[in-house]
Amino acid sequence: MSRSASPVWRIVFWRELRDQWIGGKALSMILIYTILLGIYAYLFASNSELNLLPLKQMVLEIVKAAIFVGLFICMIIGADSVSGERERATLEGLLLTPTSRREIVVGKFLSALSPWPVALAVAIPYWVVLSKGDPALGQALLWGPLMGTLLAPAFAGLGMLVSVWCSSNKTSMLVSVALYLVLILPATYSGLATATVSSQAAEHSNLLQLANPLAASVRLLNDVVMSNAPVHRVWHWVTTPVLFPIIVLAVLFLYAGPSLQLEPGMQRLRPRPI
Amino acid sequence: MNAQKGDPTHMQSDQTGPAGTGTDVLVAEGLAKTYGPRHALRGLSFTLKAGRMLGFLGPNGAGKTTSIRILTTIMEPDAGHFTVDGISHKHPDQIRRRIGVLPESFGLPKQMTGIEYLTYFGQLYGRTASDAKAIGLRLMEEVGLKQRTRSLVSTYSHGMRQRIGIARALVNDPVVVFLDEPTIGLDPRGQQELLGLVQQIASDRRAGVILCSHLLSEVESVCDDVVILSSGEIVASGAVSEVIGRTEQNVIRIRVPTDAMDEAQRELEAIPAVHRVVPASGQPGWLRVELDEGASDDHPINNRILETLIRAEIPILSFEPEGGRLQDVFLQLTAGAIK
Repeated sequence: MSRSASPVWRIVFWRELRDQWIGGKALSMILIYTILLGIYAYLFASNSELNLLPLKQMVLEIVKAAIFVGLFICMIIGADSVSGERERATLEGLLLTPTSRREIVVGKFLSALSPWPVALAVAIPYWVVLSKGDPALGQALLWGPLMGTLLAPAFAGLGMLVSVWCSSNKTSMLVSVALYLVLILPATYSGLATATVSSQAAEHSNLLQLANPLAASVRLLNDVVMSNAPVHRVWHWVTTPVLFPIIVLAVLFLYAGPSLQLEPGMQRLRPRPI
Repeated sequence: MNAQKGDPTHMQSDQTGPAGTGTDVLVAEGLAKTYGPRHALRGLSFTLKAGRMLGFLGPNGAGKTTSIRILTTIMEPDAGHFTVDGISHKHPDQIRRRIGVLPESFGLPKQMTGIEYLTYFGQLYGRTASDAKAIGLRLMEEVGLKQRTRSLVSTYSHGMRQRIGIARALVNDPVVVFLDEPTIGLDPRGQQELLGLVQQIASDRRAGVILCSHLLSEVESVCDDVVILSSGEIVASGAVSEVIGRTEQNVIRIRVPTDAMDEAQRELEAIPAVHRVVPASGQPGWLRVELDEGASDDHPINNRILETLIRAEIPILSFEPEGGRLQDVFLQLTAGAIK
């Protein structure tokens, strides 16, 4: 009995996965991430000033760091996925096959997402060790992976969208890093701003945090880990982290993916009538 | 090639030799493409038959790459249409199943061996992994890479990369194969071997082959038919011999020792059918013998010229009737368009 052919997305996924992990792109980034996380955790545990931070705060900071860097890796790999292939002249061969563009994009997307579970697996032992048995660990273990897993597809997808539309890999990387910074900088201060300002300013700040999926996620983590806030009081912070990936993936799979072409730029969805 | 008399954009098919009776595997009619105000391609029409090799020529910017990208469904034409094996270009997925392409510059993944690379592409054409691998192994043998199946493609020499590229273009057993500058960067032996391989593809597989090349001698030696593009338009098309025959052939280039040039010039100017003899500019020892109108039709003129020089005991180092090569046709037809 003859076996049936594998779906294209799976073939592309395995090839990309192999390219990233055996080729060393994702592996090297995860190694750097592991070292940085180790240094970060060591400083928290041994530095006398940082040691004065509440245990909960330490756990929150290390969870945030793991999410931030994990998302960055996904985004950078996504940003290289199409424009990088264009520059390496390997995309044309792929587009010359009778495979669906969407399936190619799905395979590449899943592969760009692959660093996230690895980053998470690397981070969790640090969280456990740093928490020293504090009850905040439970909340961190629940909400950290959840928020990261919601955002990782969005960041990988956003990187891929930039990669589809940018004319060079360098531009794709720079634009992706810029977008990442735009999202991460407000998130870095999320939860701190509201403490010292008027109620109206705090309201504005809340709205801005709600609009930024990363800032909303950090705010939620802040509330549940630091304040042990019940779910019904923080659920609204999940709104943008849920909507953001839906929007990004819809654009990627319904628009950019099917119209993927050798030349960069926003291509029309349907062929022009001839 | 189909004949459409009076229309220079259609190929004169009934004069293309015995294979002219084969099946049409590619028919292009009136293909056009513009980039902003610039016409990259205007009214490209030709037919390719199974088992034939078509040379696709043109100076840089003539529209060759645009044509190939349209015909390989990478790009859509603004006007016109084409079919591959009877399939309209409006069904690009089906066309892609029937064509094989070796792009001018193509990258190879660093982490794959030769056989893994071909298996991967075989799978993308819907084959199972085992089928794709079996086909890949057969193709690697066919292109002379049997000993390197387990080597990483990143370790391949340039010639090997071209060969694996050709093997990749054949994984789906295509009816039309597009080869864009397959011999570029290869040494003469590598060029010869690769061209032999390409000829074998056309004859053994009965595939139509479109060969884009700047090496006119290779097109002349291996192709049955030729299309010459200039500024996005076809300026000549048909069987190679027929296209060569269309050029003016009233100039002969002769090389003699430099100290015998003056004497040779005097002797040759004394021949009645010779219009004038001038030294070829920038080429010491070369004389350009321009014949009277119609004199080139009289083949004994060549013999008379040779006889004159031999009788005068002037050593003849080289004797080349101009216009007898595809290169001369190309230069005549694309004069002014070469960038």
